[in-house]
Order: sequence, then C-alpha cells, then structure tokens
Amino acid sequence: MRTRTKLLLALATWIALGILFGAIFGNAGRNNAFQPQNEFKLDPWVKIKLGSLDLSLNKAVLYIVLAATATSWTMVWISRRMQARPNRVQTAVEAAYILMRDNITFGNMDRRMATKWFPFIGTLFLFIWFSNIIGYFPLPVNTQEKFDLFGVHVPAFAIYAATANLSIPLVLTLMVWFSYHIEGIRTQGFVPYLRSWIPAGVQGFAAVPIFVIEVISHFVRIISLSVRLFANLLAGHLLILFMAGGLVVLLGLAAIGVFTLPVAVAFYAFEVVLIATLQAFIFATLAAIYFGGATAAHH
Amino acid sequence: MAVMDTILAAASSSSSPNKAIKSIALGVGAGLGTIGPGIGVGYIFGKVIESVTRQPEMRDEITSIQWLGFALTEAIVFYAFIFGLIAFFLGG
Repeated sequence: MRTRTKLLLALATWIALGILFGAIFGNAGRNNAFQPQNEFKLDPWVKIKLGSLDLSLNKAVLYIVLAATATSWTMVWISRRMQARPNRVQTAVEAAYILMRDNITFGNMDRRMATKWFPFIGTLFLFIWFSNIIGYFPLPVNTQEKFDLFGVHVPAFAIYAATANLSIPLVLTLMVWFSYHIEGIRTQGFVPYLRSWIPAGVQGFAAVPIFVIEVISHFVRIISLSVRLFANLLAGHLLILFMAGGLVVLLGLAAIGVFTLPVAVAFYAFEVVLIATLQAFIFATLAAIYFGGATAAHH
Repeated sequence: MAVMDTILAAASSSSSPNKAIKSIALGVGAGLGTIGPGIGVGYIFGKVIESVTRQPEMRDEITSIQWLGFALTEAIVFYAFIFGLIAFFLGG
C-alpha cells in the first residue's frame, strides 16, 4: 500500500509538473524555422568534385574516419598491452574476441572457411560496433547552428552515426554479398554453386520456380541486411532527437517536454546498451551465415 | 484540454492539406507496421522463457539464438517506417 501511494504521488507530481509547464510557458506557436531533419543533412565541409562525382568531405566522412581510427587504434593498443593477468578492458576485449570467433564465425562455417574469413567477420563486427557507439556521443558537428564559447564559434553538439546513413551499411553489405558469392563459386564451381541454391529433394520442373525464388531472395538480402542496420540507427536517432526536445521546439509546447524527456532517456539507454551491440552482432552473424550457406558442401 | 487544443491547432496549421494527409498516412502506416513484429517479439521471448524453464542447461545457447531472432523481428518495424519515410519525402 505504501509503495503504491508513493508511486501514485510521483505520477501526480509528474502530471502536475506537465500542467504547470503548460500554464507558465503556454504555447509559443509552431516553430517553422527549426528543421529537425537537418540532423541528417550532410553539408559539404571541404568541397571536392570530380566531374559529376561528389566526393566532398562532410559529417559522415568524419564519423567513418573516427570509427575506423577507433577500431584499429583500440585493438592494436590493447593487443600490444596484453598481460597474463588481464585488467577489466582486456577481459572485455577477450570476451568480444571469443564471441566473434566461436559464436559468430566458427559456429556458422566449417573450420577451414572460418579460419580464412574470421578476420573479415571480426572487423565487420568491431567496425559497426564502434561506429554505432560513436553515434551516441554528442560531438560538435552541427555546422548550421553555432554557439559562442569564450569568443570561439563552436558548432552545436549533435549526434549522428556513419551507420545512420544508408551508404555505409550498403557498401558493407555489397562487400559481404560479392565476397560470399565469389567464395561459393571458388569452393564449389560456378554451376554446382548455382545448383546448391535448390534444396535437396526438389526434382524435375519444380526446381525452376524455386530457383527463381532463390535468386530473388539473394537480391533481397542486399536490401534486408543494409536497411536493417541503417533503419535501426536512423530510427533510434530520430526517436532520441524528437523525444529529447525536437517536439518541444517544433510545436512550441514546453509541457510536452516533461513527458517526452524520460522517454528520450529510456530510449537512449536502450539504444546504447542493447541496439548498438545487437546490430553489430546481427550484421556479423548474418554475414557468417551467408558465407556458411554458400560454402557448405550440400544441404 | 488546453494542451490537446494547442496540439490540434499546431497540427491543423500545416502548410498544405496534402502534407497533412501524408503525415497521417506515415503515422498510421508505421503504426500498423509495428503490430506484426510486436506479436513476433512477444512470441520469441515467450518461447525463450518456455524453453529455459524446460531445459535450464540450454540457457546460454538459447540466449544467443534469442537475440538473433529478436533483432531480425524488430528490424521489420523499421522497414515499415523507412519505406513510409521514403514515400513521405519522395512521393508526389
């Protein structure tokens, strides 16, 4: 009964706070100048144009360089300082290594293939993980809005992730897609590889429609693998953006913020703790499953 | 009620009726897209609880498959959402 009273009291205070905010600040009117989707807009910082090809350096480039640097530098640094009695960081990295090796790679491929492709799958996992995690740290990258810090114009802090842009997941996916097809053709030969797409036991004319469906499913893999990673990150960033203040500024209603801010904190924690790691894990696992399926002797 | 009125007022002051309809379509579409994956995620976790209570020694193996299934199912919400966004921004 006492816990229930406390809970009800807290809820009442919360709602009262919302009403209070609504009464004091009221409605400032719809804000048309604020464009929340600009968080995902890529302003060219250094313009580079090769004919019609746009190679300008922008926010996404910065994030991808950060992620690549973080991946290689952290891993090289930790591997140089390996000790017989591991400290906490080394234990975590070793756990990640075991997850990548035993769970993701060796669990889904035969031994020879797994030894060959483990560096690739491991790099995919680590790179996507770092790029997801960096995406949740606010960095001064919003060059459209600036604020004054002791006379220096610093770009506003914003969150953005390289993987929240379709191009990067798509490139990673295409790398995986072409590699597993090439590896499958190399281990089995071209015609036997195509024949291995048809499940064992299907004979005669029924094999034709099944083969067509398999061809489509291989192409759908490009979309599903890339859009899964991209959409998870984009939707996570959108949710945090709107709940943490986007809606308040957009509608000019301070009262909404009282209710959306806790949601934003919850989503932020959910994204950092679960989604960032889970999406890296699922991307690497699915890549390993595709490699395993393409190189398996027969099913 | 005052809050509700201001939200409605803000919503109705959209620039064009076409955009308002598109916004509603995006919301309804993305919302409908969450129903299936919602059932799916619930089903996965329900089955995990069921299997772990039946065979507690399989827990570690089940947990890794559980997250695979969860991530695959949960992504479907975002397919609906992203294609809704594409239709919203690129559709005529």
